[in-house]
Amino acid sequence: MVSTIQNTDVKQKDADRAVVVAVTSRAVFESGADGDDVYGMGVAFPLLQALQRVNKRLLEENPAESLLFDVVLITTDSQQQQQSCRIISSTRHYGLEVSRFCFSSEEDFVESLQKNNVQLFLSTDSNEAPQASQKGVLSALLDRQEAPSEQLRVMFCGDAVNRPDAGPMPASRQAAQNFSAQLGEMRQRFGMSDSPLRIVLVTSHGGRESCGALRTLRSHGVNVDEAYCLAGAPRSPILSVVRPHFLLSDGFSGLED
Amino acid sequence: MVKMSLDPLQVMSGQVKELKVSPSSNGDSRGSWEEKEEFDQDHLGLTTKPKLVTGRRARKVEGGVFFPKPENAVSIAVSSRVLFRTEREQEVYLQKGVEEYLRYQIEHENEPFAPGPAFPFVKALEAVNTRLRELYPLSEELFDIVLVTYNHAHVGIRLINTINHHNLFIERFCMTGGSSPIGYLKAWHTNLYLSADADKVREALAEGIAAATMFMTEKLTEVSESQLRVAFDGDAVLFSDESERIFKAHGLDKFFEHERDNEDTLLDHGPLKGFLEALGKLQKKFYAKGHRLDCPIRTFLVTARSAASSGIRALKTLRAWGLEIDEALFLAGAPKGPMLEKIRPHIYFDDQMFHVEGAAEMGTVAAHVPYGIAQKHNLIQKSSVGK
Repeated sequence: MVSTIQNTDVKQKDADRAVVVAVTSRAVFESGADGDDVYGMGVAFPLLQALQRVNKRLLEENPAESLLFDVVLITTDSQQQQQSCRIISSTRHYGLEVSRFCFSSEEDFVESLQKNNVQLFLSTDSNEAPQASQKGVLSALLDRQEAPSEQLRVMFCGDAVNRPDAGPMPASRQAAQNFSAQLGEMRQRFGMSDSPLRIVLVTSHGGRESCGALRTLRSHGVNVDEAYCLAGAPRSPILSVVRPHFLLSDGFSGLED
Repeated sequence: MVKMSLDPLQVMSGQVKELKVSPSSNGDSRGSWEEKEEFDQDHLGLTTKPKLVTGRRARKVEGGVFFPKPENAVSIAVSSRVLFRTEREQEVYLQKGVEEYLRYQIEHENEPFAPGPAFPFVKALEAVNTRLRELYPLSEELFDIVLVTYNHAHVGIRLINTINHHNLFIERFCMTGGSSPIGYLKAWHTNLYLSADADKVREALAEGIAAATMFMTEKLTEVSESQLRVAFDGDAVLFSDESERIFKAHGLDKFFEHERDNEDTLLDHGPLKGFLEALGKLQKKFYAKGHRLDCPIRTFLVTARSAASSGIRALKTLRAWGLEIDEALFLAGAPKGPMLEKIRPHIYFDDQMFHVEGAAEMGTVAAHVPYGIAQKHNLIQKSSVGK
């Protein structure tokens, strides 16, 4: 059973222009003691705050801005579904800029994502992300971060950007392109320094030809801030210094090295 | 002034005296090389199968070329501002700001940059790699060059175009968009970092990475394309600055006295000792295959010390560290410029700007190591290229 509830505390975004990001409630909230009405802050909390900061800055630049992040909180299993009241009250308690709540189960959460026109799905569950990705929804795995930054940091893995297309473009690939184009457009609203959003490209394998990913991204309107072409060198130093909120590669990815 | 070629088999004064090691002195390298693979004796003969290495194998890429893992290679990080000439772009940045600078770069994206002061050095590194690959096709003990730039990445396309234009074999990049790359350099066991910016060099030195600031010279002596030649100052570069401190505080006589009294005590190590060590390990690979006379790496010590007196302590220290240096030139205070012009190194490391400038005037690419007591006395503050 899938149901969607609007959050009346928050102004709804323009459905045509907004970038819909769905985050699982399990990622955002941590279950505390049963007696509490309000959950504790989960792994995705800093991410949500970073998304909110980007929106705030976008509106400062242009109060009529419609290209904003539209955050949807989604439950992906029956157990979470039963906690709907607590999820909603916790969201209100923290004043999170969540426009909708989607309540679904393991069987139908992907359907819920598609119905809500979700452009990016973020979860801490390593099964959920590939499931969504296979159905053409761009997904990424979230992990606990040490000292997350206030600035929203998105990392693209260039090996995927460059991989030659064998046949028709898989749906998640198209989704990745769309999302990155929108991200690129958002990034251009800000200058080089003092941007609330930072785009980082990492190419792990191959030589400098794989830095053609820079050109590809630019042709989609994405101007990358930082680029690392590793040619086999370990990626973990980059991850620990950049501390991206999530990585994107070809549909879904994890934060493993 | 005495010029000596050191033969490691030759014992200096007949008897090898027992050397005292002072409490502060240690012969250890920075430790990065020790973490790397041991020089593999099995590769000396003809092997039909690669020896199984514990840990990860080298990564193979389509086309057969593989990239050494940074911990096995001698990693050299070079800033785009010393590898290429970017003065015009720096001017735009300083006068018109960052947005205009980026626009300018993108507009000129297909115009390759001209070679900078580190260019001949990098070309020579590649020449050594070619010889190493011929002799040891499976070994990862090569020079590994990383291009580092503080530029925003969408300007990086011009850099890549330039690298392609000049036929450089650089496959690793860090385009940091303004953040400091020192964390990555440290994690990748960088053996040497060359930059145009003294602050960044100091940051690297503080993290234990050998580093030096490079400057463009108007006059450039021609250097070898087949042999890498690296020259080092002694005090505060290979060795610590302890003796220089004595000299600066108490004068030349006290310096001589101190060196004489401590002749058998090892000098402590300086910031570039590890890099010399890394060069020495690669040299041994050539010697092992019978290429001592035509070794494509040659190292030089160019010091103001004099052979008969203060130089002895320097040589004994090098020997105790197990480091060979091909030629030691003791200038006894004479200017370094003319000697360097004769040697024609691809790069010369010195801790004093006075010597760096003197070398540059005569066409030698010199790099400043901002380490030790001499930094307080660097009265000549010439601005570095494009800072």
